[in-house]
Amino acid sequence: MHPPKNALKFLRWFCREDYVEEIEGDLTEVFEKQYGQSSRKARWNFTWSVLDYFRPEFIKSLRSNSINPFDMFRHNFLISLRNFKRHKSSFLINLTGLSTGLACSLFIYLWISDELNVDRFNDKDHQLFQVMQNFSRAAGITTGDYTQGPLAAALAQEMPEVEYATTVVPPYWFPNKGVISFGDAHLQASPQFVSRDYFNVFTCHVIQGNKNNVLPDKNSVVISEDLAIKLFHTTENIIGKTIQWNHQDLTDNYSITGVFENLPANASAPFDLLFNFEAFQFKRPGMKEWGNNDPCTYLILRENTPIDGFSKKIAGFIKTKDPKAASTLFVRPFSDKYLHGNYENGLPSGGRIFYVRLLSIIGFFILVIACINFMNLSTAKATRRIKEVGVKKAIGAARTTLIWQYLSESALVSFLSLLLAVGIVFVLLPQFNTITGKTLFLNFDSTLVTGLGLVLLITSVLAGSYPALYLSSFNPAAVLKGKLNTSIGELFARQGLVVFQFAVSVILIVAVLVVYKQMEYIQNKNLGYKKENIITFEMEGQPLDKLETFHSEIKKIPGVINAGTYYHNLTGDHGSIELSWEGKTPDQHMDFANLEVGYDFIETMDIEFKEGHSFSKEIKPESQIVLNEAAIDVMGLKNPIGKTIRFWGYERQIVGVTRNFNFESLHEAVKPCFFQVYPVMFNFVVKIQGGTEQRTIQQIHQLHNTYASGYPFDYKFLDENYRNLYVSEQRVSVLSRYFAGIAILISCLGLFGLAAFTAEKRLKEIGIRKVLGSSELGIVYLLSGDFTKTVIVSIVIALPVSYFMTKHWLDSFAFRVDLEWWYFIGAGLGALIIAWITVGMHTVKAARVNPTQCLKVE
Amino acid sequence: MKQQSLGEFEELVLLVVAALHDEAYGVAILENLEKKLGKKFNISAIHVALKRLEDKGFVKSRFGGITADRGGRRKKFYAITAFGKRMLDNQYALRVGLYQQIPKISFG
Repeated sequence: MHPPKNALKFLRWFCREDYVEEIEGDLTEVFEKQYGQSSRKARWNFTWSVLDYFRPEFIKSLRSNSINPFDMFRHNFLISLRNFKRHKSSFLINLTGLSTGLACSLFIYLWISDELNVDRFNDKDHQLFQVMQNFSRAAGITTGDYTQGPLAAALAQEMPEVEYATTVVPPYWFPNKGVISFGDAHLQASPQFVSRDYFNVFTCHVIQGNKNNVLPDKNSVVISEDLAIKLFHTTENIIGKTIQWNHQDLTDNYSITGVFENLPANASAPFDLLFNFEAFQFKRPGMKEWGNNDPCTYLILRENTPIDGFSKKIAGFIKTKDPKAASTLFVRPFSDKYLHGNYENGLPSGGRIFYVRLLSIIGFFILVIACINFMNLSTAKATRRIKEVGVKKAIGAARTTLIWQYLSESALVSFLSLLLAVGIVFVLLPQFNTITGKTLFLNFDSTLVTGLGLVLLITSVLAGSYPALYLSSFNPAAVLKGKLNTSIGELFARQGLVVFQFAVSVILIVAVLVVYKQMEYIQNKNLGYKKENIITFEMEGQPLDKLETFHSEIKKIPGVINAGTYYHNLTGDHGSIELSWEGKTPDQHMDFANLEVGYDFIETMDIEFKEGHSFSKEIKPESQIVLNEAAIDVMGLKNPIGKTIRFWGYERQIVGVTRNFNFESLHEAVKPCFFQVYPVMFNFVVKIQGGTEQRTIQQIHQLHNTYASGYPFDYKFLDENYRNLYVSEQRVSVLSRYFAGIAILISCLGLFGLAAFTAEKRLKEIGIRKVLGSSELGIVYLLSGDFTKTVIVSIVIALPVSYFMTKHWLDSFAFRVDLEWWYFIGAGLGALIIAWITVGMHTVKAARVNPTQCLKVE
Repeated sequence: MKQQSLGEFEELVLLVVAALHDEAYGVAILENLEKKLGKKFNISAIHVALKRLEDKGFVKSRFGGITADRGGRRKKFYAITAFGKRMLDNQYALRVGLYQQIPKISFG
């Protein structure tokens, strides 16, 4: 015999608080009296009366009672503080989780904003483009940034869209830097050769010298501020001084015609000197030909030139200059070079941008997981706060007030976590810089501060909204009696979260294992040559005949097993040209890697021969050539020894065929290559007897000083050089280890909170079981059993995903390890054990509980 | 202030409140009115009238104690104020005066 519920609800909704009690009471009394006669009429009357009350005098004022905001803020703050003090462990778990997540995201943000900023310092960045060439080869289209020497000038003349064009021989052409000398001072420096309009294309401020004609002739050079100060201790009055530059065939005296400002930190290819491109052309006249591709070409196009249109226009440009050419041109924005440098079959295929995207996703995920953890823990601990909620609601707090309170509490925790996160980043930034090889720093400019503020807002709203809504929804009557319902949906959500976190952790563990194994494989793989106990150094600036004597002298040092010389090395630095051989058909276009070396190089590196022998000193060097197995296979030659090969107008006979060896990074399969021999080259490799390194290197150093006094003896071990090939993989290895650790930490935090929650909830159940005779071990099994199931589900989800991911990464290596099954099983077991340890503390504590204590309270 | 009007229904309600002395609350007033007039009223009409009377100052209200019936909701009791009583008296005097002016003839 109850009045109609909906009408009652409606009345309570709109009616003024001070009238509602009386009106409800009267209506109920009338209803009860009428109910005896006719229940239908009573209900109808009730509903009609309620509707009749819907008048302006009886409706609530829309403005809620104004709450004094200042007092409420103080009250909320106090309550939050008391809560933190009373429940220190959950506060600390929340704080740790959130601050770790925020610190990670902050690191990733710094890294990404640095990467996105590389090479964007030029004033005319939006007009600055680089010319690229597409070469059609049998294996597909190769894209490169090496263009013809005369291209820039020709484009500037013939294309009206081109405002300025410049030819540049970039610094990475000279990986072993040259030596600049002035008097007794010798310094290593990176050069770059540029043509006339360079300073109109790139932003390079000339602080001394004539801005309009910086490099007047081919013996001019401009140096950087830093170099000027190192060499002359000043940047003033050095124009006109003559310095000597030593680098292979470009060695000469040059006259300083200016000083330029140091390049900003976000330049990807820094240089210390700028030479006139004419000097390069003078020493290498091949640069003037349209048939040779070497330097880079950069253009400033007129504003608003459509890029695709221009690319189509210049596509066939080379053919007009060199009918034999089989390449097409196109342009791409200069600032895209760093991040979007990869091309596959003529189409852009990403590059470093992949890592930028990957890391932003990871950063976002980590933050989301930390927030969800926070949500999970807060709602799980709700049992502690319900009495407070119940009392507040009974006194008359509106739901919005409570929501505000809990939102501000989570905002407070978020704020503290943010402070902690900034502190963590500040402390760990130097190490992060070492790992990533960047110089990042926290400068609190407006973008960073607004970004942080935004993140703070989003985190506190995201993380705090669900607990706020959840906690404020309690029915005070039920709550004050001690009942708390947990719906099934919530339980699934919590477990779903744990599954997700552990899945991510398992994936990362597998990734760490695979990357580690692959790196190990790389370091230890038999490359087809030996790289142990070999040092390498350059002898720049010495005349070649002196070097021949030096070569023979070195071999005489005890402790030196062998010594050779080279121009190209075995870590991917080599040229590539087309060869002609007997039986080659005219439409076959094949690139062969060109390795120019001196005598004894192949022997020093212990490269094995399949047929024939290495270069002999009896025959003329220009008529010998050595090929590798892959080259012979590609050419399809039987009995290759003695056959003739033609290139650059020369003819050479094959004297030997080597077994395949890796002369590039293991990402690439072994390509066909050939060796040319010269009497001596500028770079030396010396194989040293193991155990005598110190002494032998000393002696080599002394010998070096007699031949090249004043020049630094800068030697490196070959295996170090080799390791440098895999710098980015090393980084991936280190970073994935850190991220795996962080993911595991956050997952454990989440699981820890969940374990605490379920243990508390099931306390009575455990008490009853113990009373009925269950052992402590039995309880532990029972509680762990649930978590085990959850973790197993996450393992099952994670394994296929990790398989695909690692397979994709490994496929980028031509030489790789196989994916063993034990990687996956091991990772799964590892995750399970970690889960057990995390949950263990709570399950053991719960299992030990005294049944009388938990069954007493009712 | 003296020019406060009193509607017909309001006057009836006020009379019942005065008659019930201190025991006047919504349902009691409703029952009395229905019995006297033989017409059914809606409780909402009574309450609206009571609110208006209270706003004009003719009645004052107080809450009764909590009882078991009515779902624990208290009753609101209304009592007539002196001002209200004077108003009633004025009305009564007015009516009686006008009534007495009617000539003593038969109206059929």
